[in-house]
Amino acid sequence: MEISRTEITEERKNHYLLEIARLNAAFYILRDRERCEKYLADRREVMALEEEWRAHADDPQQSDQLRRKFDQALRHFLSTYMEELMLEAGRDPECVECSNWDAAHERHASRVLRHYRQRLYQIIHERLPYYDITAPRIDWEERKETARATLDVLSAASGAPASERGAL
Amino acid sequence: MSRTDTPQKKPVTPEQVAKVMAHAVATGDFVNFRFIFAPFSPLRNDSTESLDHPKYAYLLPDNEKNSVFEQALAVVSSPEVLNHVMAQLEKKGPAQYPWQPLLLLADNAVRLGKFTMASQAYELLRIRRRMQELYLEMGDEAIRQGNVSRGVLAYRVACGLDYDYAAFPEPLPAVPNYQHTALILHGDFPETPEQALPLRPEPELVRTGLVYLSGNAEIAGRLDAFDHEIRRAVLAEWIRTADGAWSDFAARYREAIRMVDAYNRRVREIIENVGPHAVEMALDPETARLPIQAQVLLSGRTDEHQEWWQCLKELAATHPGGALFVTRAVVAGNREVLLPCYRSDSPLAEMVGLADTKVETRAVV
Repeated sequence: MEISRTEITEERKNHYLLEIARLNAAFYILRDRERCEKYLADRREVMALEEEWRAHADDPQQSDQLRRKFDQALRHFLSTYMEELMLEAGRDPECVECSNWDAAHERHASRVLRHYRQRLYQIIHERLPYYDITAPRIDWEERKETARATLDVLSAASGAPASERGAL
Repeated sequence: MSRTDTPQKKPVTPEQVAKVMAHAVATGDFVNFRFIFAPFSPLRNDSTESLDHPKYAYLLPDNEKNSVFEQALAVVSSPEVLNHVMAQLEKKGPAQYPWQPLLLLADNAVRLGKFTMASQAYELLRIRRRMQELYLEMGDEAIRQGNVSRGVLAYRVACGLDYDYAAFPEPLPAVPNYQHTALILHGDFPETPEQALPLRPEPELVRTGLVYLSGNAEIAGRLDAFDHEIRRAVLAEWIRTADGAWSDFAARYREAIRMVDAYNRRVREIIENVGPHAVEMALDPETARLPIQAQVLLSGRTDEHQEWWQCLKELAATHPGGALFVTRAVVAGNREVLLPCYRSDSPLAEMVGLADTKVETRAVV
């Protein structure tokens, strides 16, 4: 079953689904005082854990344990509020009435919401101290030269017979 | 064998570790790189696995006398890196990888066309998107300078470094899935010739083709900044270079066109002389089989009983660009098949070597 009467691109459909899901979730959370307070408390807790870990990032004794605690809390927060609750909101009668969200939207949205959740995790992850690798010192001028040299090598290889080209 | 008879494992030396890591770096092998630090890695002294066992021969280089391996060995053997690696191999729990060899590994992986390895390493270094952007900028620059082949190469590298954040359960490198996307392209049966993908207006076909081949609408959208003629040249170059056996396919495609042309001419004759109702009866079995033989040529298989979608998947997996020059059609015997089709007024088919000047192919019965 398609969700729109006219043909739209995949990107526009995904954008539309995400926006509606976010509005549904916002309405669902803000409408219920208890749920709203729980959301804010969970959010504050994750932020506090991040601060605590950042403060002890140079301490090898505490750092690993604090990082794991934060990572677990962050993953839980994201999967609860950025995926499960958004889908749950889409089943709420008032949300359904306002947004016309139905089973077809939910089916299409599961991939979109997973993408949204993992993208948010990635954005947060990128601002955190390095722990899985040593902190890199990237020289972007050197990177440009490397990329240029790589293209030269690949250009030369693409002129070679197919059997010697590898994946390219 | 009693416990006392168990052969003792020789301690792993830093030189052995350096050699194994340098080999993984030189070959752009991210899987082997991670394996070095695994709890059961033969490079850990507390593991029961031994590097001397023949099953781990793949971790060591066959030839140490090549410049890429020597460069990797120099990076890995630096005291800063090697001391860190040895400390991580003694440590309990998840290891912290050294960034210097990881960066070199990613660069080597790109050079070897191992894009999924490279994208994982760049992702760990948190520079994947910027590296992707760097290649895209270089691609744009090359295209602006008229070097379309270098531009396409840079775009293909950038697409190879793409990541799929919607992958389940964890984000993974995005990989082409042409056999799936080609089915979406041909999902609706063309009721009129104009609805067939290859017969749509050329700008639309070029845009669709670029999105399909790049697998990323955002990256393909960057090319909208260029004129239509340039984008057409980019698509033609992408089609040719993404497929090592394109010229073989093009020869088969031209042969398939000749078959379909012979079939079309015969059907037209029957319609003109007798009428459309007589086509089924008047067609001789040999001519009736021509579209099916054409489909077989397109798929590259010998099976005449394949459905159109099976052929399309075969075609898209082996020659991705080919899916842009075929259409679905119903032929004699009420059978739906996949047939070659292109716009005769567009230079695109000629640019990729598919056009056969001897025949005039537009729509198929």
